Amino acid sequence: MVSASASKIFASSSNPLPSPIPPSGLNDLPYDVVIIGAGIVGAMLARELSRYKLKLALIDKEDQPGLGVTKASLSYIHRNHMNPPGSERAKFCVGSQDRFRALAAELGLPYREADEINIAFDKEQEQQIRTRLDWAFKNGETKFRVISKEEVARLEPRLTRDFTFAVYSEAHGMIHPPEWAFALTENAKANGAEVLLETEVLGLAQAPDGTWLVRTDRGNLRSRYLINAAGLFADEIAWMAGDRDVKLFKTRGTFAIFDSSVSSMLRHLVYVAGLNLSYSQAMGPTMHGNIILGLGWFKEPKDRIDTRVTKEELDCILRMGRQIMPDLPERDLITSFAGIKSTNNLAKPEDFYVGPSGVSPSLIYALICSPGITGSPGITRRIIELLADAGLELQEKADFNPYREKPYRFKDASEEERKEAIARDPACGHLICRCEQVSEAEIIEAVRKGARSIEGVKQITRAGMGRCQGGFCGPWILKIIARELGIPPEAVTRKGKGSEEVIRFDQIGASL
Amino acid sequence: MSRLYNNSDKGGAGAPIKLDLAIIGAGPAGLAAGAMAKRLGIKDVVVFDRDERPGGILPQCIHPGFGLLRYGEELTGPEYAWRAVQEAAAEKVDLELNSMVIEANPGRQICVASPDTGLRRYDCRSIIFAMGCRERTRPAVRIPGTRPAGIFTAGKAQRLVNIEGCMPGRRIVIVGSGDIGMIMARRLTLEGCAVEAVVEIMPFTSGLIRNEVQCLRDFGIPLLLGHEVTEIRGYKRVEGLSVCARGEDGRLIPGTEKNFDCDTVLLSVGLIPENELSRQAGINLDNATNGPVVDNLLETRTEGFFSCGNVLHVNDLVDEVSQEGELAAQGAAARLGLVQEPRTVNLNVVKGSNIAQVVPQRLLVNRDSRIAIRVRRPTGPATVRIGEAVKLRLPLTRPGEMITTTLKADQLAALYDQGENQELRIDCE
Repeated sequence: MVSASASKIFASSSNPLPSPIPPSGLNDLPYDVVIIGAGIVGAMLARELSRYKLKLALIDKEDQPGLGVTKASLSYIHRNHMNPPGSERAKFCVGSQDRFRALAAELGLPYREADEINIAFDKEQEQQIRTRLDWAFKNGETKFRVISKEEVARLEPRLTRDFTFAVYSEAHGMIHPPEWAFALTENAKANGAEVLLETEVLGLAQAPDGTWLVRTDRGNLRSRYLINAAGLFADEIAWMAGDRDVKLFKTRGTFAIFDSSVSSMLRHLVYVAGLNLSYSQAMGPTMHGNIILGLGWFKEPKDRIDTRVTKEELDCILRMGRQIMPDLPERDLITSFAGIKSTNNLAKPEDFYVGPSGVSPSLIYALICSPGITGSPGITRRIIELLADAGLELQEKADFNPYREKPYRFKDASEEERKEAIARDPACGHLICRCEQVSEAEIIEAVRKGARSIEGVKQITRAGMGRCQGGFCGPWILKIIARELGIPPEAVTRKGKGSEEVIRFDQIGASL
Repeated sequence: MSRLYNNSDKGGAGAPIKLDLAIIGAGPAGLAAGAMAKRLGIKDVVVFDRDERPGGILPQCIHPGFGLLRYGEELTGPEYAWRAVQEAAAEKVDLELNSMVIEANPGRQICVASPDTGLRRYDCRSIIFAMGCRERTRPAVRIPGTRPAGIFTAGKAQRLVNIEGCMPGRRIVIVGSGDIGMIMARRLTLEGCAVEAVVEIMPFTSGLIRNEVQCLRDFGIPLLLGHEVTEIRGYKRVEGLSVCARGEDGRLIPGTEKNFDCDTVLLSVGLIPENELSRQAGINLDNATNGPVVDNLLETRTEGFFSCGNVLHVNDLVDEVSQEGELAAQGAAARLGLVQEPRTVNLNVVKGSNIAQVVPQRLLVNRDSRIAIRVRRPTGPATVRIGEAVKLRLPLTRPGEMITTTLKADQLAALYDQGENQELRIDCE
């Protein structure tokens, strides 16, 4: 079965372009809401708005939801101890863990929890942690307590003993954000939302009747309300709407991931004190059983796509990692990456701005910063209130389906589930990615649900995310994507147009 | 067709299937082990492999240079693999392809996932690990820069070109001077690509001298020794790469920066034995080889588990990998009582000056033993001393060239009598 399908792989030669925008152009009824940006906020908003009788569209310039800022973060659902009481951040982060847990159940997504240890190395940091503790209580958190060095040593024997003060807190959430953005979008789509990927907004204009005209590289559409959830590009979107006052301040952080074989070295999320967002030092388990290290001073990037990892930054985070865990397993470093975050000038320093634009109440901004993933449920709720305030009628659909079937995951399945799955579909037993134990069936499903690139498939299925970083499974994944999309291998991209992975033999001379 | 030949369905759906010997990996080590195991009279032997075809990495190695030791003639990788498969077939070795061993526990039970046979468990009297190795990746060598399309490990590029029929790109820079990198420099040049340079951080190549000569020098491909990659550029696709010379202290030398425009970067920065299953089974590993600690019958410190080929230590020549497979089968046959091997005392190998790794790490003194050594640093004329008695004089030594020798049982016995604390010290001076 497997070989037969494999032999079909190179048969097709068409190279389909993204289809034009569905016929909702100038002559048709406008959309009620168009959301620009399918990150965690845009995707969650689309899913929540799909409960209502609305004509709804979610637009993103990438080929898959959640591949922007959403992808590059620590990916924790933090408890409410890093947000100053009274801030928008504190407000929007209340109860996030409960909301994520509920969504995980509805959408068949993994959600795990880890406890956290905050440590301080000197008096100044100790004061910062005490401030955080105070914030936690003022924000309504209850499960925070000061713990002794001995207890920390018992809980995390490999942690440094050099710290002076520690606070313990329970039940921080762990998710894989791009997988969530993908699933939320999938559910929104199942409930009638239109999802327009590889669609870049080029211009915005408001008609005299208040309707917005959205010009994109794939056609125009009209909408009564617009949500700017464009992440690092939110300022450009604002400028297009005539709002020249929005400014984003961007910073870059570097992360390192260690192999899951060393996961037993660290069970708790460990945070070193620090009160502002420009500085972050954290190390902890991930959703997938790796260890993530996100440390260091955030530097200002060259531009919004400047996700270089420099030698200095990587050396720096590893050095700081060793400060937290002296026997940092550097041999088991499997990848490093940089992420860019932003703050903005509409909010108070280092806070969210979720509110109407300066130009019209029908254009709403979600200008956020860290902790954006944690805040996304609260932000979503707030945007829906703002839409209602601005006159959007929210009438619930009788047939809204909040559920998504939980996808098969070989690695997470029990022996019985695996046997049943393989009996149903042999591809469920054909392991393509050996490091992360991902079957062919999972990759096929991801592609059928909309993943088009190697990076996209990786973010959904984890294929290629392990210690060999796609060394063995890369060619297989390339073939499966090509086969499922009916395109030749040279049309398969790593992460969207312009990042084609391979070329044909007869293309070699083309540009030499 | 996903299998060449197959035994009939064994065992019921639920209960574990009993095997005398499970061999994990159908590359040259596993196939040779399978054939030899059958020859020695081991009955229920199955070789498992995750790929749809046997031969391991050989089918993608279409260059010649294989088989000189074993067959006395020069073969390509696919030809060598074909012989290995034929030899296994002649002994009626069962091959389970498309079958990935996902678990191995210390009680010698393995769990195998396959689209053809589903999920099965096997209780094995003995197990030979022959999983081979994987390539080190970019994070392991910490190359700074962006993460665009166009960065491949050399072996992955080799598979793309030689098996899948795709090219990785047009203008290539190869980072690292491992054998696969040098072989791909030649291969891609022959296909019409422009290979701009091979960049090696050390002052010497890490692969075989013959590859440096035949793949780089003969094709005029520039080799930059002692250069470090300082940045990979490009957002969607690789656009270029910068390098800088390193002084003897490891610091970059200002003013020696060079920029290359290229659309592709291949990495050939070392191989790592794939010992995830061995670790799961609780096998004791050697930090120097990244493979199990074994004796001269290639038995690990856990009874009934054997290891051979590149999962034991990265070899230079496939011929030696096959030989190790056969040796591991002899070990398994001895463990199963089919071959008499008096189990006497051990000598523990101690690594002396300029010795990076030695396999085996423990020697049974009652039998002949092949010893494989790698040095830390290259030298000119040198003497490798094994204990007090054995001296090997070599015109030069290099980390990239494995030094092998066979010690006879009587030599070992003599070494044992002379040695103290049951230790055998090996030095290169």
